[in-house]
Formats: sequence, structure tokens, C-alpha cells
Amino acid sequence: MSKIGVFICHCGENISATVDVARVAEAAGQLEGVAFSTDYKYMCSDPGQTMIKQAIKENGLNGVVVGSCSPRMHEPTFRKACQEAGLNPFMCEMANLREHCSWVHDKSEATTQKAIDLVRTLVEKVKLNKPLFSIQVPVTKTALVIGGGIAGIQASLDIASAGHQVILVEKDPSIGGHMSQLSETFPTLDCSQCILTPRMVEVAQHPNIKLMTYAELEKLEGSIGNFKATIRKKAKSIDEDLCNGCGTCTTKCPTKKIPSEFNTGLGMRTAIYVPFPQAVPNKPVIDKENCSYYQKGKCKVCEKVCPTGAIRFDQEDELVELEVGAVVIATGFDIMQPSGFPEYGYGKYKDVITGLQFERLASASGPTLGEIRRPSDGKIPEKIVFVACAGSRDPAKGVPYCSKICCMYTAKHAMLYQHKVHHGKSYIFYMDIRAAGKNYEEFVRRAIVEDEVNYIRGRVSKVYEENGKLIVKGVDTLLSAKPVEIEADMVVLASAAVANPGAEALAQKMHVSYDSYNFFSEAHPKLKPVETNTAGIFLAGACQAPKDIPETVSQASGAASKVIILFSKDELSRDPLIAVVNRSPAPVFSTCVGCFMCASACPYQAIGEELITNRQGKVIKKVAKVNPGLCQGCGTCVAFCRSKSIDIQGYSNEQMCAEVIALLNHE
Amino acid sequence: MSELIKKAAALLESKSVQVVIGYGKGTGNRTRTIFATQVTECENLIFDSRCVQNLAVYLTKLEIKKLGKPAIVAPVPVLRSILQLAVENQITESDLVILGITSESELIDFESFAAIETFLTTHKIEIEEKYTKTIDAIKAMPVAERFAYWVKELESCFKCYACRGACPLCYCTRCTVDDNQPQWISVASHPLGNLEWHIMRAMHLAGRCTDCEACYNACPMGIPIHLLTKSMLQDVADNFGSYGPSLDKQNTLSSFKPDDKESFIR
Repeated sequence: MSKIGVFICHCGENISATVDVARVAEAAGQLEGVAFSTDYKYMCSDPGQTMIKQAIKENGLNGVVVGSCSPRMHEPTFRKACQEAGLNPFMCEMANLREHCSWVHDKSEATTQKAIDLVRTLVEKVKLNKPLFSIQVPVTKTALVIGGGIAGIQASLDIASAGHQVILVEKDPSIGGHMSQLSETFPTLDCSQCILTPRMVEVAQHPNIKLMTYAELEKLEGSIGNFKATIRKKAKSIDEDLCNGCGTCTTKCPTKKIPSEFNTGLGMRTAIYVPFPQAVPNKPVIDKENCSYYQKGKCKVCEKVCPTGAIRFDQEDELVELEVGAVVIATGFDIMQPSGFPEYGYGKYKDVITGLQFERLASASGPTLGEIRRPSDGKIPEKIVFVACAGSRDPAKGVPYCSKICCMYTAKHAMLYQHKVHHGKSYIFYMDIRAAGKNYEEFVRRAIVEDEVNYIRGRVSKVYEENGKLIVKGVDTLLSAKPVEIEADMVVLASAAVANPGAEALAQKMHVSYDSYNFFSEAHPKLKPVETNTAGIFLAGACQAPKDIPETVSQASGAASKVIILFSKDELSRDPLIAVVNRSPAPVFSTCVGCFMCASACPYQAIGEELITNRQGKVIKKVAKVNPGLCQGCGTCVAFCRSKSIDIQGYSNEQMCAEVIALLNHE
Repeated sequence: MSELIKKAAALLESKSVQVVIGYGKGTGNRTRTIFATQVTECENLIFDSRCVQNLAVYLTKLEIKKLGKPAIVAPVPVLRSILQLAVENQITESDLVILGITSESELIDFESFAAIETFLTTHKIEIEEKYTKTIDAIKAMPVAERFAYWVKELESCFKCYACRGACPLCYCTRCTVDDNQPQWISVASHPLGNLEWHIMRAMHLAGRCTDCEACYNACPMGIPIHLLTKSMLQDVADNFGSYGPSLDKQNTLSSFKPDDKESFIR
């Protein structure tokens, strides 16, 4: 006999402003099986919860429906309250009267009616609820960090320093990421490499961090606490144990004219190379695409000159399987090539470069050793034009979002230029100056006032070459709104920050969601900014959205702390809302026919086989079996099962049907 | 024909199999399935263009399984079903002997399911133009008209479930329609109940149906239910690549491939 309590929340005015909550409570009280019904201003508050607990005890309730906000918000709160009153927590259900009703409808009779319907369906469901008990799963206390930029480095160091094992996977030959390419950093103008390289070395030397460079994630299976990751270690063609990083091979390699990725094509590298002198690990790899031996079958100069005999031409990619408990995605971002903007002349004129290329020019480790020189003729530019939003905030040709970092780095670029070329003139075409951040506005002010950078509010319409000069045509839209023409020696485009080309494929491998720009999605924009929708997988840095260094580092530490929290217990307690394959009396044993379509449909590889045997041990039937440690309760298998042999505990076919019927039997 | 009889008899003789499932002469001009358990019964085996029933349906039936290991006369449609049953883990290679047979009554040996798949690459499922035309015409109808069309077509259905019985892929121990806890599909043969049943049947065959038309052939009322499954085949091919059973590709709808078009969610 059902004795259900219904508790309708006003949510301040969030619900009560559009829904007649008293009437909902009254209507619920009339339903068959409802023994108690009331409404209250804040059900989640302490008095509200006490009200629920008291009602359970006084009326001997065996089921509870709370009509309030989304279960994502307060389901744990109310289930805990029920548990404290002696009820199994899974006998408590929530009717979402806020997100599903009051927030999306105007005040009307129909809105109240919908609220009543929502409550009625949940009452019918609760009647069929069964007590359920949490599942305990062990936690593998090793974290996998994907991406060795500043985000990955920070997350790895934090997790490792808390005493847990970390495996840091980086796709390039060295860790360091974009930050290692930068010259100075805003708003303090400290040298990027000077603050980064000590951290890189720390990663390499940390006893708890295992560094895997030139490696990529191939596959990720399992779930929170118990993932199984397969890493592809790309063949470096060297024996890392023998190589002592002397660098003889890189100086002797005859293939020297390969545009260096690290120097954004402004410098050259050899086929066997270390991306930059401070690389970690400081050991070379052979770029097979450009190596004469791999392409034409002869050369082997590196092998001849190597003093330790470390070159291995026959090395092949290696797949390594790892058991990890948590994953931090820190794969960073990419720069949109401004080739979609022919009016700026990028790609056509050598002296039109991107912001990242300017970083290399301004960097002491760059191709010009820190002197600002034109890529075309090596002359020092007298006038530079910087174009902000060259791709950002441009829904038509670029990306609609703000890349966030460009205002600041453009101010920095102009400042660095003024510091290095005292008589030079710099101009910045901008849409708005977005300098929100500690000391950011002051930094921009300093560029304008002290370094006399000319800020022009307006867009550039065209860049073309005339007599060795780049003619920049634009408009100044402040007050006068007059056309501007500048004879520049160099143009720097603040191109948009975009997701990495491999981001979508990686997201699909890991079953994490991503947005329409292929940035990884956080679980909640405000309250869960470092979590993904997949439990146990966290985000750090610009793989989520464009970010500057301080923000990236903070988020990386945030992600690390989430991992450390996860690793603080030996066992994880999980909701038992998982799939189960049914059992029925002989001679059927289970209506499962063992087609195992569920197994291929399962995104978590949670379905295996079970052999049903008789007393003599003879196999009678082979059926599907759900591994409770892996199942996430997504229900894909339930939808796939033709014979309805699988049910999600707490969301059984019977319960769903009861809900639908309750809705359809609308008087 | 003597080849087939000889081979079937030899299989029974050597006790390699306990039963031979094949076609035999029926009443009038019709054929019927025979289950030969004795060498002498093999005499009755026939094969010609009238033999269209999909014998693969018997492979999963408990009553037939009890007879022992079968050999099965398998023209192309049966081969397709056998392959799909293998994909769905219902049969293994050691469970049966396949007496492959072409439309010219030539016998073909199949050592493995993989060999069937190789053979079927030259016998791909092709939906005849007369069907594609009809399907296109139905799809072009406005929703209300299309709904009325199917209500009308399904009007005569009295839920004998012959379509289910004839389909080699309807092998569930308990069909969803027979489940009354909860009763998702209404059992009565009124317009709604009929629609529900036939929509469900088509959906359950999506990505699995091998286009043998056994359901249509079995329907005593001649309802064109094969149009539903044929249309489904097209949809699967349009959205997920190809149709037809494949050990490699496994279950089209339950397996994810990065190059799936998925245009319906993008």
C-alpha cells in the first residue's frame, strides 16, 4: 500500500509566481496513494527538509515526491533528507516544476495544470520504486593528463605533489605548449620561457610523473575511478635510454630547410630535431615525413655521427595500455590561419604575420634572437600596424566569440616593439579594448600613455603592397569617422584562437561533450567549470575556451584538486541507477536472447557475457551481463533491447510506462 | 538435384548432422519445408524457383534445435539470414552445415561464415525499382495522407503474427508484444494496435533486415509490410553507409563509426 508524501516548493517566487502551488499541493493530495501533501517557500532550506523528515515519520510515508527544481540541483539534498528519516533514498523522486514548468511558461491555468501533471507522473512512478543501494567501486589512484602545455604541466605537478601518480601525455616531441613559444607575458612582461622552463624541468624530474612525449591517446574505456587508456607512443626513431641529447645529429642532418613548427615557419629545422633548445625531454625525434632516409632510402648521417648509437630506424609505434582513475584534458588551442581574410594579405605578403609569429620575432629564443625584423628582408620595421579581432567576433568569416587574449597580447606586442624600436610607430586597429583582469587595464593604459601606441577604433578594410610598403586602409570610427591610410612596414594580425583540429575526434574517443566550436564542454558553466559531463574526466586550460595564462593555471589547479578529491578515498560510492538484465523462471531463465547488440551499443563497454548453467554445470543459456562498476545508466542498451530484457534500476520499463499512462490519462 | 540429395544423404549417413532442413513438394504446386532425419527422407528434397521460404527461421527454433545438428539448404536469401544470425551471436560455425545453392541449383560449400560474406559481396541486396518507386511515392505523401494510407493498408491485419513467425530474425524468446508488464503495444487488432505492432516490427528490424520478404510472403492478407522494412533498409544505407549483414561491420545501428553521416543530429 503506497503512502506517498508530496512536497511542493515555491522556490522563493521562482515557481510560485507562475504556478498556483497551493492548488498543485491540493490536487496532489487527492491522488490515490498520496497520504500527505503540502507546499512551502523553500523546501531545500533546513525547515523545509525538517518538514519532509517529520512527515515521513508521522505519516509512515514509503515514498516521497518533491515538486521543485531540477534533480540536478537538489536531488542529493532531498534523498539525503529522506535517508535521515529512515526511508531508502531512492524512494524519493523530484518533479521538476521550475526548469520544466515555471521558468518556461507564463502564469496561466495551463501552467498550473502542467505542474499537477508533472507531480502526478512522479507519484505513479514512486509507487513502483524499489529500495536501491549504492555501489562501491575501487579507485585507481593514477591520473592521466593529456597535453603538456602550461595547463597540463600545472595539473600534473599539483596531482603529483599530492602524492598520486601522473602520466602526462604530449603529442609533440617536447612539453611546453604554446606558452613556450611566447616572448614576454602580460601584464608584467616577464619572460615566458623563464617562468615556464623550471616547471618543465620539474615535471621531468618529479618522481610521481611519468612523461610520455610524442604520444597520443588512442582509446579510452571504462569509467570514473577505473579507466583503461591506450596510448600510442609514436616512433621517435631513437633509443631514449641511449641518447644523451648531445645534439650532434641535429647539427649534421643534411635536411635543414624544414619550416620549424615551434618558430611558426619563420625559422628552419632539420629532419632529426629538438623543437627548441629548452625542450623537455631534450632528446631529438626523426620527422619521417621529411627525413631523406625514410623518404628516399638513403642518408643515415645521424646514425653515423651518433656517439652512443641511439638511432633506431626500425622503431615502430608502440601501444601502451594504462589503468587510470581520472583524466585531465589539457590539449590547448590553435591559431586560426587568417587565410580566410584575403583583404589582410596574409600569405600573399611576407610581412603580414600572425600574433603568434610576432611572439617568435620578439622572443630571445626566436629566429631573429629577439630583434623585431621583417620576414621579407630582415629590416627593422619603422611602422607596425596591429589588427585586433582578425577573425574573432566575426560571425560572417571568422568565429563569433571573443578570443579573449588578443586585446592584451596586442597591447603587449605594441609595447615590446616600442621598447625595442624606440623611434618606431605602432598603430592598433581595434573594436573594443577588453582588458578585464588584474592589472590589465593599467597595462593597456601604459601602452597608450607611456609607450605612445596609437589606438585607432575601427576596422581595416584592405592591406596591399606599394613600393615595398604595406598600405593599410582602414577607418577611425571615433568622433570623426574618417578614413585612415597608414604606410606600414609590417602588419600583425591578432588571429582568432580556435579549438585544436583533433579536438572533436578526441572528444568522441573519450565520450565527452563539446560545443559547436569543438571546444570541450564543462558540466556546468558556473558551478562545474572544470568537470565534463563524463564523471572522472576534467578540463584544464584553453581546450575549453580561449584563456590567458593566469586563468589556465588556476583552472589546471582546480582540475587537479578535483582529481585529488577523487583520489582521497579508496572506494567510490556510485548511484545504483544502472542497467540490469532480467531473470525469469525456467525454462526461459532470462528473456535475453544473447544477440549482444547492447554490448556494441554500450558507450562504456559495460556489457559482457554470462553463462546460465544448470545444477550439473551444463550451460543452458548465454545472456548479456552488465558490469555494475562500468555502467553509467545511460539507457542506450534498454532502447536497443528488442525483447525489453534490460531495465535501468530506478527507471524501469514499468515505471516509465506508468509515467506515460499517468500523463495520457489526463481528465 | 541428385547432387543435393546425395550430399544430404551422405551427411546423415556419416552422422555429421542429425537433420537436413530443406524444401520438399507440398500440396498442389506449392513447396513445404521438410526436416529429413533419415537417409531415405532425403529423396524428397527439391530445389527450384518456387522454393522461396526462408529456412533460416528454423535454426533458432527450440523444437528444431532438439533434433540435433542441422544441415540447411541455403539459397542466397537464407545465406544472408544465416550471416545476420551469426552477427547476432545466434549461431556459430560448428552449429550447422550449410548446403549453399545458387538459383541455377549449383551447390556451393561454405567453410566459414566469412566465406558466406565473401560470396555475398557478389550478391548484394538490391531493392527493385518498383519498390523504390512505391516507397518514394508514399514518402512524398503529406503526413495525413500517409497516415491514412497505412491505416487503410493495415486495416485487414488481425495480428496472426505470421510475419513474426516467418522472419528468421524474430527469434526472441519473449516478444515485446507478448509482454504485459508493462503492456507497451496494445494487443487488440484495432487501427492503433495494428499500427503500433507494425511500426515496432519494422523498427526492431532496422539495420538487421536482410530483405528476404518472408514476412510479406507469409501474410495471409497480403499487406505490403515489406515496404516498411525496405524503406528502413534505404534509410540505414543513407545514414550509415551500406546495408546487408557483415561480420566486420557488426550491427549497423549499435556501432559507432567516426565517418557515420549522422546528418539527422548535426
